[in-house]
Amino acid sequence: MSVLSPYRVLDLATERGLLCGQLLGDMGADVIKVEPPGGSSARSIGPFFNDQPHPDRSLYWWAYNRSKRSITLDLEREQGRDIFRRLAARADFLIESDNPGYLAERGLAFPDLSAINPRLIYASITAFGQDGPKASYADSDLIIMAAGGPLILAGDENRPPVRLSVPQAYLHACADTAVAMLAANHERVRTGLGQYIDVAAQQSVGMATQSYILAAALGSSEARRMAGGIKFGPLDIQLVWPAKDGYVAMTMLFGSALGVFTRRFMHYLCEQGFCDEATRDKDWIQYGEMLFDGSEPISEFERIKEIARTFTRSHTKDELLQLSVERGLLITPVTTIDEVVESTQLESRNYFQNVEHPELGASFRYPGPFVKFGATPIEYRRRPPTVGEHNREIYEAELGFSPREVSELKQKGII
Amino acid sequence: MTDARPLSDVKILDFMWVMAGPASTRILADYGATIVRIESPTRIDTARTLQPFHGNALGPDSSGLFANCNAGKFGISIDLGNPAARDLVFDLVRWADVVTESFSPKAMRAWGYDYESIRKVKPDIIMLSSCLMGQTGPLAKIAGFGNMAAAIAGFHNLTGWPDQPPAGPFGAYTDYVAPRFTAMALIAALDHHRRTGEGQYIDQSQAECAIHFLAPAILDYTANGRVAGRVGNADYEFAPHGVYPAAGEDRWVAIACRHDDDWRRLCSAIGREDLARDARYSSAAQRREHRAALDSAIAAWSKSRDPVEAETILQARGVPAHQVQNSAETYRDPQLLHRGHFVDLDHPTLGKFTVEGPRAKLSRTPAEVRRAAPTLGQHNQYVLEEILKYDEAKITELATAGVLG
Repeated sequence: MSVLSPYRVLDLATERGLLCGQLLGDMGADVIKVEPPGGSSARSIGPFFNDQPHPDRSLYWWAYNRSKRSITLDLEREQGRDIFRRLAARADFLIESDNPGYLAERGLAFPDLSAINPRLIYASITAFGQDGPKASYADSDLIIMAAGGPLILAGDENRPPVRLSVPQAYLHACADTAVAMLAANHERVRTGLGQYIDVAAQQSVGMATQSYILAAALGSSEARRMAGGIKFGPLDIQLVWPAKDGYVAMTMLFGSALGVFTRRFMHYLCEQGFCDEATRDKDWIQYGEMLFDGSEPISEFERIKEIARTFTRSHTKDELLQLSVERGLLITPVTTIDEVVESTQLESRNYFQNVEHPELGASFRYPGPFVKFGATPIEYRRRPPTVGEHNREIYEAELGFSPREVSELKQKGII
Repeated sequence: MTDARPLSDVKILDFMWVMAGPASTRILADYGATIVRIESPTRIDTARTLQPFHGNALGPDSSGLFANCNAGKFGISIDLGNPAARDLVFDLVRWADVVTESFSPKAMRAWGYDYESIRKVKPDIIMLSSCLMGQTGPLAKIAGFGNMAAAIAGFHNLTGWPDQPPAGPFGAYTDYVAPRFTAMALIAALDHHRRTGEGQYIDQSQAECAIHFLAPAILDYTANGRVAGRVGNADYEFAPHGVYPAAGEDRWVAIACRHDDDWRRLCSAIGREDLARDARYSSAAQRREHRAALDSAIAAWSKSRDPVEAETILQARGVPAHQVQNSAETYRDPQLLHRGHFVDLDHPTLGKFTVEGPRAKLSRTPAEVRRAAPTLGQHNQYVLEEILKYDEAKITELATAGVLG
C-alpha cells in the first residue's frame, strides 16, 4: 500500500523541476515523464555513468527521475499537443518548469487544460515566478542563490561568497512545490476543483538563510561571512573544527539551552588534562552575555577555542563521534561522500537502496526513502526510465492507439 | 467565516522545537492547519535565543528565527515532565489529527508520550518524529543541530575552496531541507487516513531526507567511485561561472554562462569580443580549463561597477547574472516585493514583526500567514477554554498543579 497510489502525475519538468515528480512517485503516485522526442535536455547533464555521455547514463537524470515512466511526445506540433490534452484530461497533477509563457504559447497553460479537466492541479516551477520585474531574467542555480539570500552568508571572509557545489536552488523549489500540490489535493477532496500553483525558487531558497533574510526588516545587523562558522556581533563562533584526519562540526555555544553541552564538553577537556579547573568552571550558561558586556574579554574566548582546537586536532573524526554519542556532546564528523555511503548508521537503517539497471546489467545504490512511513512504506518500484521506455505501454494500453498508429506517430517524429 | 485554505480542517498537536520541526508546521499553518504548539515553561526553546533579533535586542519574543518558524500557531506552555499534565496532553491528542515531535529519541517515551502511548488514546493518530539521524541505529540518540546533520550528511565538505578547510553552507543546512519533507509526508499520510481510516507513525531522519539534495554526487560515487570535493564556485558544466567583485565593500555579482551563446554575449557585454573569437575558449570544457584567466578578465570589468548595474547590463543581453544580495537588498528586491515575500504581522508585545510569506502561490485558495508567533503560553486560556472546553475549575486545578508553568 503506497501513500499516493491513487494519483497520476504528468511531469513536463525540465532539469529545473525533476525532483518534484520523483517525490510524488516515491510515495506511490503514477508519474508519467513527458519528454521531447530524443529525450529531455536534462539527460545531457553530467556526470555520466563510466563518464560516457549518453541520454540513459546521465547520473543527474538518474538522481531525480526514479519512480517515473517515460514517454516521448513532440509538443511543438499540434498532433502532439492533442495527444497531450488527452493525457491531461485524466491526470490529477501536472508539473512544469519552462520559462513563463512557453506552454501558454502552445495552448497548454493552466486555463487551457483546466477547461478540459477542472480537477487538474497544475504547478509551475521557475527561478523568479510567473510575473514581476525579474520573471524573464536568465537564471541558474548560482543566480538564484545570489538573488534569494543564502549566497552572501557562506564562504571565507577574505574570498567571494561560495555556494554548495551540488546545485540546490531548484531542489528547494521542487520540495516546496510537492508540499503545495498535496495541500491543493487535500482541498480538492472538499471542492472537486484543481488550481494553479506558482513557485519561485528565489523565495524557496530564503529558507536557507536561517531567517537572516529578515535582518533588515527587523532592524537587526547583517550577518558577516566566516568559513566554518558564524559571526555573532564581535564573536567568531566556530562550527567546523580540525580533527586528526579531517574536520568535525561542533557546536560550542552558550545560553540556557546550549551552555549545558559546552559545560559538559569543558568538563571532559579538564578530565583529559586540556584545561585547568578555573577554565572548566566558567559560567557557560551566561558566557555569551559576559562576552557581550565585556566582563569576559574576547581574547579569553579565543584562548578557550584554541584549547578546544588542540583537543579536536588530537583525535580522529570517528573517535570524536563516539565520544559525542557516549558523553552527550555536540560533535559530528564532516564526512566525504564515500563516508556518507559507507555509514554504519545509514546501513543499520537500510537506507541506501539497490536499484537494478537491467539495461546495463548492474545495480547501483541510491539515496533511500526520505522518511520511514509505518503503514505505507516508500518502495522504489522503478529505476529512472530510458528515453520513451513506456511509449508502447501508455500509447497502446492506456490511450488505445493501435500498434500501427504508434509506428506512424514514430515515423512522423511525434513520439 | 469559513476558512477556504486547503488544510483548514486539519488539527495538529505540535511538540516540535528549535528549527527543523517548527519550520515544517509553519508551512502547514500557512495552508490553514490549526496548530497547537507546546512549549516548556521552564526550558526555553533554543530558537528563542537565536539571531536575528527584532530591534537588534535580545528578548524572549525577539528572535526573528522563532517568529518565522512559529507564525500562525497557537502557543501553550505545558510542563511535560509533570504527571498532572497527562490528562491535558491526552485530551489534546484526542482533539488532534496529527502529532509531531522533534526531540531526540526516547524523550517522548520518558514522558509517556511515545507513539504506543498516544495510539492507545487515539488509534488512528498520525504521528511523526523528526530528529537528526532517525529513531534507530547506533547514532539515534545524537542530539544537536542542523549544522551537525549537514556535516555528517556530506554538505560541509562540498562547500568551500579546495585549498581551505570546508566553509560549509551557512548555519543549520538540513533544517532548511527537512521541513518540506516533513510537511509532504504529513499531508500524504492525511490523505491515506482519509481513504482508509488508518493512521501511522512516521520516522524522519533529517540527515536521510537531506541526502536527496546531494543525489548526483552520491550516484557519482556509487556508480563511478568518484568522491567529489570542494571546488569553490566552479560548476561541472557551466563556464565561466562564479562570484565576481563589484564596486564597494563586500559587494559581488554572480555570473553563469550556461552555453556558448551566453559566453559570446558576456564577452560582448564586457567589451572583450577578442575572447569570444579566441579558439582556446570555444567550448565549455576549454573555458573550464582556462577558468583563472577568464575569471580575471571578468573581474577586471566587474570590480569598478555597481553590482546592480553589472546585473542589469548582463541580464539585458540574456546572460544569467545577479547581485549577491544581503538582507537589506532582498528586502528592497522588486521581485520579492512583487511576490509579497515579506509579511508584516501585529505582534502582542513588539508591534510590527516581519516574517517570510508562503513560498507557493495557489491561485484559488492561497496560503496565508495570519498571526505572529505566540509569546510563551499566550494561548493557554484559548486552548483550554475554546478548544478543549475546560471549565474554570479545571483550568485553575491545572494552574495550581504547576502544569502550565
